[in-house]
Amino acid sequence: MNKPRAAIDWTARGEIGSMAVLRCTVWLARRLGRNFSRMLLLPVCLGFAVCWPASRAASKCFLARALGRPAGMLDVLKHFFTFGTTVLDRVYLLNDEADRFEITIHGEQIVTEILAQGGGCLLFGAHHGSFEVLRLVGRSQPNLRVSLAMYEATGRKIGAALNAINPHLAPLIIGLGTPGAMIEIRDCLEQGGFVGMLADRTLASDTTVKVDFFGAPAAFPTGPARLAALLRPPVVLMVGLFRGGNRYEIHFERLAAPASARPDPEGATPLIAQYVSRLEHYCREAPYNWFNFFDFWA
Amino acid sequence: MKILTEPVRQTSESPALALAQLIVETLNLEVAAAAIDPDAPLFGEGLGLDSIDMLEIALAVSQTYGVKLRADDTDNNQIFRSLGSLSQYIQQHRV
Repeated sequence: MNKPRAAIDWTARGEIGSMAVLRCTVWLARRLGRNFSRMLLLPVCLGFAVCWPASRAASKCFLARALGRPAGMLDVLKHFFTFGTTVLDRVYLLNDEADRFEITIHGEQIVTEILAQGGGCLLFGAHHGSFEVLRLVGRSQPNLRVSLAMYEATGRKIGAALNAINPHLAPLIIGLGTPGAMIEIRDCLEQGGFVGMLADRTLASDTTVKVDFFGAPAAFPTGPARLAALLRPPVVLMVGLFRGGNRYEIHFERLAAPASARPDPEGATPLIAQYVSRLEHYCREAPYNWFNFFDFWA
Repeated sequence: MKILTEPVRQTSESPALALAQLIVETLNLEVAAAAIDPDAPLFGEGLGLDSIDMLEIALAVSQTYGVKLRADDTDNNQIFRSLGSLSQYIQQHRV
């Protein structure tokens, strides 16, 4: 466990890059439609693969582990293309054009049960597939209210972009990094809301713990599991995998509550390890859905 | 290091010192309650506490003083600025 952790520069590289992709795709998506926009994504992805050697290397490194074989340039292109497609599809999801997608939901009864008990749930997501497809669950679960907890700088940018697409549908964003952030999450849970957090990425200030991920230790933030230990809400893993064409596959899975009520990082480790092991499972199921384009094991 | 003290506050202590003791006990801090500067930042630098520690403090404060810190109707940045500001808020709102 390290605190503080060595500086990680994904905010500088990954987010600016993905914001450029996002702006570009919003424009394309609206004017050209999904099929034509996806065709245009191909040269865009090729450009990124050539101009971003660090992201290319990170993609190859991850895919080699997840595929169990060396990854080539075509794999990298497919990886970037999958990312581009999910970013593009956010525009349609936010525009309430869900009908164009074919969705399979696994474990929806978990959400139904929690809502029937009054709600209040921590959703552990990841930069794997599309978290945005959660909106499609909202159509069959009208009582589902989801807030997203994310770092303010990232949240502001993403919030602004989502607002530009459809102000009515932008999710409530809880900014992390302030003293009151977790109190806000507690209040949200008490009011029966679902609070989503992407539990796979850390910032320099986070306490982390090293957990085996594809056979090698990688740093994961302890925050989400410490919060679960302290507040003891139901904890559910959620991934929305892009399966090619217009198909998405949503998975909900209950995670075990931490044994200790103390939110110390050691007590939180079993929950993190369980999350990571299930995440690895979904990474093997859909390797090209992994959207952490930096050296995850650094 | 765990400091064993009764959760019931002595009335003779200063409110800020009593709160410091509650924080040290709650978070198992390796620092003496009296050594916490009432004006130093609680969050981030200084004591090095994060927002989950702040939530834990808020839960302990609610149990001990009956003062519930909420996200919507309070300025948490101001309240959690320092031990002194948190103590002052509690004294103003305790029942």
